[in-house]
Parts: sequence; structure tokens; C-alpha cells
Amino acid sequence: MSRGELRKIDTRIKTIKKAAQELKQLSGGIQAIDRNAERILASVKMLEINISDVRDLV
Amino acid sequence: MKTSSNQKDQYWNPVVETLPPRKMRELQLKKFKRILEWAYERSKFHRKLYQEAGLEPGDIKSYEDVAKVPKVEKAMMRDIQRKDPFPYGDALCVPLEEVTEFRQTSGTTGTPVYQPDTWQDWEWWAEAWAYLLYAQGYRKTDKVFLPFGYNIFVAFWAGHYAAEKIGCEVIPGGVLDTEARILKIQELKANAMMATPTYVLGMADTAKKKLGIDPARDLTIRKITCAGEPGASIPSTKQRMEEVWGAKVYDHVGATEIGAWGFECTAQPGGLHINEALFLAQLEDIETGEIIEAPGRKGKIVITALDRIAQPCIRFDSKDVAEWSKDPCPCGRTFRIIQGGVVGRADDITKIKGVLIAPSAIEEVVHSIKGLSNEFEVIVTKKGDLDNITLKIEFLPEEEKNQEAILIQLKDQLRLKTNLGYNIEVHPYNSLPRYEVKAKRFKDLRKHA
Repeated sequence: MSRGELRKIDTRIKTIKKAAQELKQLSGGIQAIDRNAERILASVKMLEINISDVRDLV
Repeated sequence: MKTSSNQKDQYWNPVVETLPPRKMRELQLKKFKRILEWAYERSKFHRKLYQEAGLEPGDIKSYEDVAKVPKVEKAMMRDIQRKDPFPYGDALCVPLEEVTEFRQTSGTTGTPVYQPDTWQDWEWWAEAWAYLLYAQGYRKTDKVFLPFGYNIFVAFWAGHYAAEKIGCEVIPGGVLDTEARILKIQELKANAMMATPTYVLGMADTAKKKLGIDPARDLTIRKITCAGEPGASIPSTKQRMEEVWGAKVYDHVGATEIGAWGFECTAQPGGLHINEALFLAQLEDIETGEIIEAPGRKGKIVITALDRIAQPCIRFDSKDVAEWSKDPCPCGRTFRIIQGGVVGRADDITKIKGVLIAPSAIEEVVHSIKGLSNEFEVIVTKKGDLDNITLKIEFLPEEEKNQEAILIQLKDQLRLKTNLGYNIEVHPYNSLPRYEVKAKRFKDLRKHA
């Protein structure tokens, strides 16, 4: 996978992260939104570990 | 870097698993600085430790600088436990309400250490296990049986979640007894399993003797992932397990405080890969503390979990003894290999009659002798100035007529492989203790004499 492809993936990861963070802001404290968004963010972190962290080293 | 479709199928993440070593060191340094800064800013324990050493996170500029960071010993973690914030103490780096998981160490070497994790940490645990299970050939078509007590010990919990993450069908063996577990494996045609070596062998015994089931012939388990004991990296123990189950047996090494840091791949290169994308492991000379980079020289593993945030594990003195392999792995992973897996623990390797010995060396001999049961016990005592080693063994019932020849072979091999003479005690079959999880077969009573 080229650096260009990894960058594209990293951009999508950032988009998901931003969307999950916005969900938390918009939730009005509804736990069903907050906690599920939190879980999405934990999964996003795994994507960052696997791709975003290494993006510029490839 | 090009990633072929073959690579995509072979690796959980080909991007990091095939990263050239120089790039890997860059990645590890970047992540090490990040976790060090995280802990320094949030944990009183870590900040005090580093300030007393006159070190700040900004002082770490190169990979070599990592060794300047003070190590953390298990005893230090014990000391801070049960203090504020209760029950973890001040190494905690997140608000208590963000902790979602409690686990504790098994207490094999002393008072158990409590380990908090956030949900992100728990995802990370499963991620580390996903790397290792995928490397051992687990795929979404597999039906995985987990015959362990789901409780406060981390054991195979993350293996369960990782197998789910890969897409396997996971069957939790939980509180079923051994016979019920075997029958459930048979009924559901499970094809993979995770257990300690002691339990893998014990299950096979139970299957044969109590149920008349031959695991290799009558069950469908074809890969087994072991953890908790070194057995799957001890050639004779591995061979016993593979023969009796008709399965490939793979080793894995990890710890509650660290995570799942090492694994054997399907190429079985005679050692374990370290997951260098998630962990930074250094080998340190046991006497001098010098960092060992060259193959062929044993040291203890000092390790950092690069992404674990609730209670960071930074330069943790694992006491696990290993040596670097000189050969690359045919699997193509660039993750470094420790030859022969973890060969002992710095606090287990002991001097008997002036000879340095690891308990695993005795296990290797006992399990290499056909006709002996899987169970044995080693007891070291002192009479005056003299050390004595007693080795308790059992013959398999069908081998009793060959006892004399087997004993000669055992004594010869022990002398050859361990350079020591033993008092050998023969015990009736099935009379030595049986273990379900971590076996305690080596008892050094000299310290209590």
C-alpha cells in the first residue's frame, strides 16, 4: 500500500473521528448516543494505531 | 510499499508487520515519547519516578535514549495499590469513572497487582490478540472453543474478543467441567482452542481415560493457542500436545500488566515474534543492565506497551529471560524474534549445586521421554551445605513393564541436558497434583530452610 493510499485512509479515519466527536456534542446527554460514540472512538483509535501512526513512515 | 492480495490475507496489518526495522524503530520512538509524556503529565507515580532520576520526557531524543528511562518493577506496582484513587493508586492516568475493566495478576510471584483498563485499552487488548491469532491462522470461518474460567484473571479474555473481532464463531467454555467441555467441542465440531499447556494435556488425558475419546481421531481441533506457561515453546511439551490432539500448537506470551506482546506464527520459526507495532521490548543483561542487541546472548525483557493509557506500562521489568534470534522468519514479518520463546524467568533461574538451571530445562527432558505421564514435580532442598533435587515422576500405566529402561533414559538425559544428578521418586499414576491453569511444579525449599 502506497503512502498516498495510506493518507487517503487516514483522511477517512479523521472524518469518522470528527463525526463521532460531533455526535457526543449533539447528544444532549443521551447516554445511548454518548456511550456508543465513545465506543466508536475507541475503535477509531485502533485505526489510528494501525494506519495513522505509521502513515508517514511507509 | 506495495501490498499484494496474498499479503493482505497473510497478515492482520501488513503495513506494520512488514515495516523495515529502521522504520519500526522510528515508529516505536515516536510512540514511546507519546506514552511517556502522557504518563508524566497524568500520573504522580510516574512523574515522581522520572523527576527523581532527573529525567523529563523531552530528554528522550533517540531510540538509544529509551534505556535512560527508569524501569518499573512489579513490587513498585504492588506498593501503590489500594491507595488513592482506590484500588489502583496513583499510576492511574484517567479519571476513575473512565475505567471499564478490572483484572488482577495471578499472584504466582506474590500479592496480585490490580490492573485498570479503559474501553479503549480493552479494544487495544483485543487488537494485540487479533495480530497473534491471525498470525496463527485464525480466520472468520473458524469455530473457537475457550475452555477457561472467565473470571478476574485476564487469561484468555482478550483472545475471546479478538477471535470475535476476526469474525470467528466463539464458544465460551466457562464454568463447564473438563468432560462437558470435551463433549461440547465434539458436538459443535470446534476446530480451534486456547488454553494453558498443562490444561491442553490434562484435557486429552480426561478425554481418553474418562470418555474413551481420542482427541486426534475423534475431535476436530486443529490449532491450539497456548499461554500462561512456557510449555508451547518447549519442544517436547509442544510435541506431546500436537501428537495427542492432532493439531498445530502455537505459543503466545503476555502479562496482565503488559498485554499480549509475543506470538508464534504459522511458520513456527523456533521462536516468538514480538509485536513491535504495539510494544517496545529491550533485552537487558541480567547482571550489568547493558542493552543486548546481538543474537545469542540471554537477557531479561524490559518492555513498554506503547498505546495502553489507563495504567501505562513503561519500561516494565518483566523478568522474562530470552535471546534474540539471528534469523529472519520465513513468514515475512519483520517483527523481531526471541529464539525459543521465553526460556525462563530471572527470578526462577536458580543455581543448584553450582549449576544455573531454568525449570523449563527439566520439563523439556521429562516430556521428551515416552512412557512418563505429563505430570512431574521438582523439589530442591538443602542438607548442610549440599543442594538436593528430587524429581517426582509417574509412569503411564501401560509402560510399567518398561520402567527400568525408561529410568535409565531419563537419568541419562537429565545429566546430559541439565548437568545435574537427581533423586528420582516414582509415584503411582494420577497421584501427583493436576493443574487447570498455571502449574506449580518447581518448588525451591532452600529459601525456607
